[in-house]
Amino acid sequence: MEALANNLQVLFQGLALGSIYALVALGFVLIIRATNVVNFAQGDFAMLGGYAMILFTVGMPGNPELHIPGFAVHVPYGVAILLAAVVMAIIGLAFNYGVYYPLRNRSFLPVLISTLGASIFLQNTVLALFNPQPRPLDKLFNIDGVTIGGVFLDSQYLVILVFTILAVAFQYFFFEHTLIGKKLQATSQDKDMARLLGIPVTLMIIITFVYSAVLGGLAGMLVAPILFVSIGMGSTIALKAFAATIIGGFGDVAGAIVGGIIIGVIESFAAYYISVPYKDAYAFLALFLVLLFRPQGIFGEKVSEKA
Amino acid sequence: MRRLFLGCLATSIAAAVLSVPALAADTIKIGLVNETTGPNAEAGVYTVNGARLALEEINKAGGILGKQVELLLEDNQSTNPGTVLAYSKLAGEGVPAVIGPIRSTQTQAISPSVAKAGIPTMFGGTDPSLTHTGNPWLFRCRPNDSFSSLVIADFGVNTLKLKKWAIVHSTDAFGTGGMNALVQALKAYDITPVLVQGYTNNSQDFTPIVLAIKKAGADVIGSYMTNSPDVGIFAKQLRQLGLTTTWIGSPSVITETARNLAGPGLYGVYGIADFTPGASPEAKAYADKYKAKYNLEADVYSSWAYDAMNILARAINQAKGTNPEAIRKAILATCGYKGVEGAYCFDENGDGLSGYNIVRNDNGQIAFIKHINNPKK
Amino acid sequence: MSDAAAKPVALARAQNNIPSLIVLAILAIAFPLVPYVLHVSDYVLNIFMNSVSYTMAVLGMVVVLGYAGQINLAQAAFFGIGAYAVGLGTVVWGLHFWVSFVLGLGAAAIAGLVLGLTTLRLGGHYLAMITISFQQIFDLVLTNWIDVTRGPDGIPGIEPPALFGLHLTDKRAYLLFSAGVLYLLIWFVWWLPKTRLGRAMRAVRDNELAAETIGVHTLRTKVIAFTISAVLGGIGGSFYAAGFSYISPDNFSFLRSIEFLTAVLLGGAQSPFGAALGTVLIVLLPEWLRFLKSLYLAVYGLGVILIMVFLAEGIWGLLRNTFQRIRKPIAPVIGAAPALNFDIKAPGERPVLKLENLQKHFGGLRAVDGIDVEVAPGTVHALIGPNGSGKTTSLNVVNGIYRPTAGRIFLDGIDVTQMKPHERAGLGMGRTFQNIRLFPTMSALENVMVGGQRDNNPMEAGREALVTRALSALDFVGILDRAHMIVRNLPYGYQRLVEIARALAAHPKLLLLDEPGAGLNQAEKQELVGLLKRLRGHGLTLFLIDHDMGLVEKVSDKITVLNFGKKIAEGTPQEVLRHPDVIAAYLGEGPTNAPARA
Repeated sequence: MEALANNLQVLFQGLALGSIYALVALGFVLIIRATNVVNFAQGDFAMLGGYAMILFTVGMPGNPELHIPGFAVHVPYGVAILLAAVVMAIIGLAFNYGVYYPLRNRSFLPVLISTLGASIFLQNTVLALFNPQPRPLDKLFNIDGVTIGGVFLDSQYLVILVFTILAVAFQYFFFEHTLIGKKLQATSQDKDMARLLGIPVTLMIIITFVYSAVLGGLAGMLVAPILFVSIGMGSTIALKAFAATIIGGFGDVAGAIVGGIIIGVIESFAAYYISVPYKDAYAFLALFLVLLFRPQGIFGEKVSEKA
Repeated sequence: MRRLFLGCLATSIAAAVLSVPALAADTIKIGLVNETTGPNAEAGVYTVNGARLALEEINKAGGILGKQVELLLEDNQSTNPGTVLAYSKLAGEGVPAVIGPIRSTQTQAISPSVAKAGIPTMFGGTDPSLTHTGNPWLFRCRPNDSFSSLVIADFGVNTLKLKKWAIVHSTDAFGTGGMNALVQALKAYDITPVLVQGYTNNSQDFTPIVLAIKKAGADVIGSYMTNSPDVGIFAKQLRQLGLTTTWIGSPSVITETARNLAGPGLYGVYGIADFTPGASPEAKAYADKYKAKYNLEADVYSSWAYDAMNILARAINQAKGTNPEAIRKAILATCGYKGVEGAYCFDENGDGLSGYNIVRNDNGQIAFIKHINNPKK
Repeated sequence: MSDAAAKPVALARAQNNIPSLIVLAILAIAFPLVPYVLHVSDYVLNIFMNSVSYTMAVLGMVVVLGYAGQINLAQAAFFGIGAYAVGLGTVVWGLHFWVSFVLGLGAAAIAGLVLGLTTLRLGGHYLAMITISFQQIFDLVLTNWIDVTRGPDGIPGIEPPALFGLHLTDKRAYLLFSAGVLYLLIWFVWWLPKTRLGRAMRAVRDNELAAETIGVHTLRTKVIAFTISAVLGGIGGSFYAAGFSYISPDNFSFLRSIEFLTAVLLGGAQSPFGAALGTVLIVLLPEWLRFLKSLYLAVYGLGVILIMVFLAEGIWGLLRNTFQRIRKPIAPVIGAAPALNFDIKAPGERPVLKLENLQKHFGGLRAVDGIDVEVAPGTVHALIGPNGSGKTTSLNVVNGIYRPTAGRIFLDGIDVTQMKPHERAGLGMGRTFQNIRLFPTMSALENVMVGGQRDNNPMEAGREALVTRALSALDFVGILDRAHMIVRNLPYGYQRLVEIARALAAHPKLLLLDEPGAGLNQAEKQELVGLLKRLRGHGLTLFLIDHDMGLVEKVSDKITVLNFGKKIAEGTPQEVLRHPDVIAAYLGEGPTNAPARA
């Protein structure tokens, strides 16, 4: 009985972690589809989301060494989420113009490296503004969680699970049933063709960056009460999310979700049954195996290069 | 463009080569290698705070040998090669003494440079072996891990009478070293831990560890964890899954950051601390001054540097000059000096402290329980 | 005659570089001697040592990223393998330094080989992820496998090696020795692109598909590139370990890999000198920027973006381009190369190409639906058909880019159905592409040389013969004077000719031409017809597809017509063009309209 409860507990944790990966992976997929590049700063959007919440709930300490003054803002939690989302939208816009746009006509490699640079830049700018101490953040609901049959369900993890489902549903509806979603899809499939059809491709890409920054930021706000807000909070998550993206099939929305959940669950059970210190290795091993035996991912279609 | 680059290169080399140890006659410069950037930047800030506080007091009291004291800071970017570079830079600038890193691997990395430079170097890494490599210039201003594990074992077994131990440790140098020492220390009481569980820093989930502790039926947890977020997550999940096991941890469980993050998760947890405000009048006075100046709770990252600075000042005064060998002898002769971490008495290896405080987190406040000095091996 | 044509060209190129080479040599020799002449602190010595060992690793990035175009985010892991081999070998296992060194290189080479093999299926982002995974797992193993690696404590007390009984314990002597090794490695990496292997790597980088179809074993090339890169990383790591005497896992983390990547991009990925420059900057920048304190890493990140945006070819590329603009333009090659030898046996009876019931289906779509074709030796055979009739697909199947769903393909009597494209090229199957696929950053001569270096090419071994062969091929198509121009800068029509020359250099038994007239104007088409007729005159067998019926009619001996993946007619141009099915298939398509110039 207790063994069952333990296994259920491990499963729940795996699902919860997996949905965090999935959320971040969703942002990855959007940018991959729109621009065909991987944004290595996607995890830092989560980090920025977390810090934006800190900014609006307790304020910023500043950095006397650089003469940056601190300030305190206190707004209600819900308002803070809205404000933080706005901040993320602005960051997404800036990211588009600062990191992607100047390189849009080059191959994937310069863009990829540029996003790596952006990641280093964002982390260390935040480090200079806030001090390096990790910060706690309150949960969305004022209850820690519930215990059912010996299994503890963290309220925030439940929120994350629900939000992931909502985000997927929204994304599906948005892409398949709205005009702007269809334009985005057309852009992602063939930019030249989209241009010929009169779709403002540049605008579509801006929308993608803004949306994925906000989504990444929301993921950060949601995990902050559990993993706390710290400079490196997004890095590990982003690597796993990227692995999820590839396992699921490069650029496939459903694949990213399934890939994220698979990684979360594998990690959780492998840590429980095999070894904890190697926890981070399992995701990468799974990735290795998938790439060796099914390089197109679980949902991806096999594509051959045309001559 | 190329000329510009070469020019820069030449200038920088020339600057480095020609900056002959030109100590201005009116100040004494003490070097400090620490981390203001990179993943461990958090601790680096506190270390500088502590050293600066001591420095101000020394200067206010008239300086050393009548000269004002200056602190030369070098960032090591939280990396080992960075520490080597930063240290050799300071050594090249001719400082008579250096306050080094608090991380064991960084201390390990600079050990050859320290021996070569031949200047007294205070450090805070707690890996016991660091003072046993035959390097006469390294001085530890904190108790080492062989004491920390002895104190944890002593307190858990003798005072709390607990026998079923689970050890949770980070797999980095600090955590692994501590775990090994604790296993050894428990052996003296004929105790084999029911569980020894490592994890990689920045784990997002400790459920498997908590379940393993539950399964093993441990009645006490001994921990060597490095990062505050890990302590926070582990503490919360421990309580969420219904475990109220006694927990005695290395200093990381009672830092302000950890207490902030974990909240009630860490209530009732015992920690060992080389620095505790309640442990002595000196410590109390220091905590008040630190709070007044920085509006932060004083902790071990700052207190050891405060002590290191004061011990250096004392030694230079006694040496009546900045001759490294004379300073070295003066530090070695230091015994009975009451620092904020405890009473220093340097042994022949360069270890200054040999005891720890036991404290408890009482609803978020640190309560001093007892001091254990020279625990039995 | 042949020497006269080839040699002055090569010499003229080399001479231009001599002044800059002298400057470099003086700088290089002066650098490790500085500590002997001036009194330098340990700090400066450490910086020098850091630069030297890191540069070795970054040279590996030049090979794998700069030459072969494969991303590698695990260079720090290879660096670590070399360092740990020396550390564990000398300190823990008590082995001799050089034994440990060699073991380390072996281990690094194996790791590089395995990682390189994953490029069989993966490129781009996937490769990025695979190398990151390798790096992360390496990190975890170093930290957690304490019994073997000594775990996070690392390994202290590593000693510099002895050389001919001479102990290099003096840091200055060790630096001098390391710099000497570094210069050897720089020379090797500088020399590499001029070799067969180096050209193959650059061809893979510029256009992997074209490289494969003209006979480059692309997988092997990539694997070798990864292996060389890993070995260079390992060498750097070994020297690092002995130079700093202490290593621990955090020296070999993902961040260090990024640092190596940044260094090579900053300096210029295409050149070992760029790598050295970039590495020195990456080592010095944090030292120069110490005044920025906590903002330093933020500035570093910003710098990476700025390099990507403004310095695509790195600082070295910028220097070289500026330098080249000042320098006189490349003198055109004057004179003639020896006549191109086609080396074709007297035509026999056996068809050069035979397709038996060839089929290729994409899901439900039957792009090629069971065609039989025999191409007689010494003839020009055209495959035509309306858009979507399966022409290009057929060519891609013949070529090996696609595997057929069913049927067999024979080249000069040999069944090549299961062979890879480069194996078919190795048997004498040449090809050009509709949308020209050259190696844009290489010169016309180098492009053609890559074509000439296919397996089994019946010609003399050696670089000289290859150069001569390539020049002859360029002369044959009439653009010998442009031999040293970078093809990216050539007009479109010339690029097409380079592509044909590239195929001719390989002594093809059969030349597949995919719409050779596409994008050419009438005058150029006229020349093309002349060229094709000359090729036929030399006895070369051609199999071509094209839309332009005028062109096809003028050059072909035999025409096969496809529609919906099936053969609907075959015969001489006159027969076929009068065939009612053909006329029906083409109705409304306007087959004689040449497409507008692209």
